[in-house]
Amino acid sequence: MSVLWDGLLQGVKGVWTIALIVIPLMVVLEIAQSNGWLHKLNHFMAKPFKVIGLSEDGAFPLVVAVVFGITYGSGVILSHARTGKVTPKEARVVGTFMAIAHALIEDTIIFWVLGVPLLLLLLPRIVLAYVMAYIVHRITPEDSLAQGNNLDAVD
Amino acid sequence: MLEVNKKMLWRGTKTGLQTTWELAKVVVPTAVVVAVFRASGLLDVITAFFAPYMGFFGLSGEAAIVLFSGYFINLYAAAGSIMALNLSISEITICAVMLGFCHSLLVELPISQKAGSPMGYIFIIRLACSLAVGWLLGVVLP
Repeated sequence: MSVLWDGLLQGVKGVWTIALIVIPLMVVLEIAQSNGWLHKLNHFMAKPFKVIGLSEDGAFPLVVAVVFGITYGSGVILSHARTGKVTPKEARVVGTFMAIAHALIEDTIIFWVLGVPLLLLLLPRIVLAYVMAYIVHRITPEDSLAQGNNLDAVD
Repeated sequence: MLEVNKKMLWRGTKTGLQTTWELAKVVVPTAVVVAVFRASGLLDVITAFFAPYMGFFGLSGEAAIVLFSGYFINLYAAAGSIMALNLSISEITICAVMLGFCHSLLVELPISQKAGSPMGYIFIIRLACSLAVGWLLGVVLP
């Protein structure tokens, strides 16, 4: 019985530690989003995104994914693709980047409270995501994905 | 310029509480299960089996539990396992960085596919990053 109790206690303690950070942070994020900071961040990042072949519109799903998570980013890709704001090639570059680096705030906090250095949690993910996205950008011919991409097959 | 109102505060708090609840639903049961594994001796069996492979990343056999729960379930489950095990801080660091690249595969690979990138391709990239950086950290970290 004490085994179960120990496990339970450890789990609850961990959740409490994370909650103390996650809840205030979500409030800050909500304020940031309501004030249009995501678009500002997107604009600010325009140059580095251009290097990996993304227009400002094309990079926006990536900004969303990096801050909020891969599910949200994918949602934005799909709606942008429908309105023609994201090309299939851009979707592939963004898809590669965001598969490696997404939800950087939430994912990072989980392990940061367990004692892992922030820089080690963030830097390798961002750098490798950027490098991989760059490689994909360079090796993917402009129109190779125009036919038979599965973006418009999904609703 | 900066506008803050009650609605934002409430929505943010709600999202935070939701996240905490999602977290609790996974972290607490995982911590209990791993504690039971440990007390029953099952953990020793798993540890002994994976020890040679984990050594490649500078990890002990126990860390296999953390990696598997992260790869297949999610980061919360990995955190729950970490809480219930006695890993050194450098082991926790290596696991955390490896899992940053590659986690929740059962949920996230289909999401990637939906957003226009084939599952197999994304899987290989994520796992390769995870293993490569894990190996590097295993060499570099004390």
